[in-house]
Amino acid sequence: MYISGNIKELNTYDAIVIGSGISGGWAAMELCKKGLKTLLLERGRDVEHIKDYPTANLNPWDFKYGLNNTLKDREIDPVQSNSYDPSTKHFYVSDADHPYIQEQPFNWLRGYQVGGRSLVWGRQCYRMSDLDFSANLKEDIAVDWPIRYQDIAPWYSYVESYIGVSGQKENLTQLPDGEFLPPMELNCIEKHLADSLKKNEYNRLLTIGRVANLTRGWDHRGPCQNRNLCHRGCPFGGYFSSNSSTIPAAVATGNLTLRPFSIVTEVLFDPENQKAKGVRVIDALSNEVYEFYSKVLFINASTIATAGLLLNSVSPRFPNGFGNDSNQVGHNLMDHHSSAGAYGLHDQFKELYYKGRRPCGFLIPRYRNLKDGEELDFKRGYNIQGHGERQEWLDRSHNLNGFGKDFKAQLTSPGDWTIWMAGWGECLPYYENRVALDDLKKDKWGQPLLKIDFSFKENENKMMVDIQNTSAEMLENAGFKGVEVFNYKKPGGTTVHEMGTARMGHDPKTSVLNKFNQVHAARNVFITDGSCMTSSSCQNPSLTYMALTARACDFASRQLRNGGL
Amino acid sequence: MNRRTYLKSALILGSLGMASLSVFKWIDITKPVDPALLWSKKDIIGELAELIIPETDTPGAKSAGVPDYIINVLLNCMDIKKQNKFCTGVKDLEAYSINNYGKKFLDCSATERLEVFDYFAQHAGFSYRILNRINNKFFGEPFYLTLRDLTIEGYCMSEKGATQGLAYDYIPVNYNACIPLQPNQKSWATK
Repeated sequence: MYISGNIKELNTYDAIVIGSGISGGWAAMELCKKGLKTLLLERGRDVEHIKDYPTANLNPWDFKYGLNNTLKDREIDPVQSNSYDPSTKHFYVSDADHPYIQEQPFNWLRGYQVGGRSLVWGRQCYRMSDLDFSANLKEDIAVDWPIRYQDIAPWYSYVESYIGVSGQKENLTQLPDGEFLPPMELNCIEKHLADSLKKNEYNRLLTIGRVANLTRGWDHRGPCQNRNLCHRGCPFGGYFSSNSSTIPAAVATGNLTLRPFSIVTEVLFDPENQKAKGVRVIDALSNEVYEFYSKVLFINASTIATAGLLLNSVSPRFPNGFGNDSNQVGHNLMDHHSSAGAYGLHDQFKELYYKGRRPCGFLIPRYRNLKDGEELDFKRGYNIQGHGERQEWLDRSHNLNGFGKDFKAQLTSPGDWTIWMAGWGECLPYYENRVALDDLKKDKWGQPLLKIDFSFKENENKMMVDIQNTSAEMLENAGFKGVEVFNYKKPGGTTVHEMGTARMGHDPKTSVLNKFNQVHAARNVFITDGSCMTSSSCQNPSLTYMALTARACDFASRQLRNGGL
Repeated sequence: MNRRTYLKSALILGSLGMASLSVFKWIDITKPVDPALLWSKKDIIGELAELIIPETDTPGAKSAGVPDYIINVLLNCMDIKKQNKFCTGVKDLEAYSINNYGKKFLDCSATERLEVFDYFAQHAGFSYRILNRINNKFFGEPFYLTLRDLTIEGYCMSEKGATQGLAYDYIPVNYNACIPLQPNQKSWATK
């Protein structure tokens, strides 16, 4: 493509951000607020807050087939249809249009639209601690994190104070407290389990989930109306998403240019000054190719897509992919496992109930391997996430027998109290768990398909057994009946916490990014989505991505001012 | 017997012979169902759904629009095996009614209908869960279970079922974590 001087000028910005999801939205807002003319590139369509939430106010009976996906949905979207239903389908990609190759079963769940998966995330916000940041060094696994808790703690506070996180302070070293709005409330069965944990002196505690759902009005949004329909987009702005918060704030500065339908295919490298000069983009609708230029580049395409973009950006300087001197790009792919847990019924508290649909469950923070010398057959740990409720029609339909008047009466009245809980477990970074480009197969824009080769291994599998045992033990000691353990054995990707394909580290020989998320070999490129993670911890990771993004944006803008970029 | 009739008979005999083989069963339950046939069974499906969730002081399955829901979901969302098992199930039930009561199911008295339906409820599966799972996987879920689950789902998600049969809270605003159960408290329609 021939670029005339004038077009080049028109296509030049101070900063370019690739991807508008949970971290890209933050990058766009921070850079705009710092006065940088910023281009935000999103490969999918535009989704405007409230206006583009078509199912948000629908009743159950407004869906002709209930919440069942059609046979056709399942045929066209064999992966995404496991996660969406008719109320959320519009926030997921079509597998047919966006195929990928599973070398082993892996659910790559995606939402290509402005806001990305921030519209359908689980909203759990947990800080990582030095137990996590120092684990690799201590155990000589992969490489050391180049940061510690004190480097990121102020940025956690900064982000929490902006997005609004409800939660309860608990004063735990493995799960640092944050800046919280009033917590949501535990119901009586959850309180009962919490009391039992205290009495049994396991050194375990049960607390309410820390979520980006607002328990009071915050930043022109919310409060949460306790509808628990977050995944349809919230017309009340009751939870944080790029659409409800960071992107409107970026727009308000007057510095943002948002370009949907822009598939970034390559990062362009300028060998003269050893920096990126911009990106190449295919317009998803017209198939036209454009180039955009900037002083600084933030890549927030999401872990797997970011790895693919780097690998696809080949130049004489980077024959193996952009910034890939270490040959670590695409490797060390992680995802939390959340398949194993336990379930039980309680025959007390029959006179108590609840009203409203709380959009989060409870958390039992990590209690394994907190100290050296615990004799367990696995490394690292897990937290337990779960919820208590009385059995409603959907649960009872599988347990009640018979039909007729009595059956109807039972079906429509509250059943036993139950608790379901499962472990969200750390996955170690394995070099062989990786993303690569296929040499032959291309998508409909002529871009190579991504191949994902991932499996959970011995450490994760042993941890799942421990999760089942301790979960069942806690329920049984709290007087639950019919306690059953389970392991759904879901493949990687299912927890939607992909991480690690462009890890941070001290040494350019073994890592892709430095301690400020700068690409070692091209200092004006920052990567602050999940791909930067050096280990996975067991904490839900989005809060960490947001904090690292805000920190990197602050660093980048200071460097720009000082002429350091 | 001319040649054509002979061939026909041979085919029929052959098919009957194979009917007991699982291979034939497999082929039989993997061909698509005729939507017109299923819609023609709407009345009987409605009566069966009403037996599961009858009208009491709150609406029953029929007035909540469950028959349409069942047929729509079956045809568009359920795999072919389930669709076939369902159709065969309705036919079996009609045949059972004629063989044992000498009349069509819809012509039976309330008590007779209950007896017929109870027979199918009792024979819906093995008493061991693992056998059920294996059977369901290869031959599709028994008709009675599909009918029951779709009736429950269709009723509880219908406007009448959710708002009158159950308690529906469109915008709860607050979450009250622990409150006393009210007399005749219905459970919540959504969670």
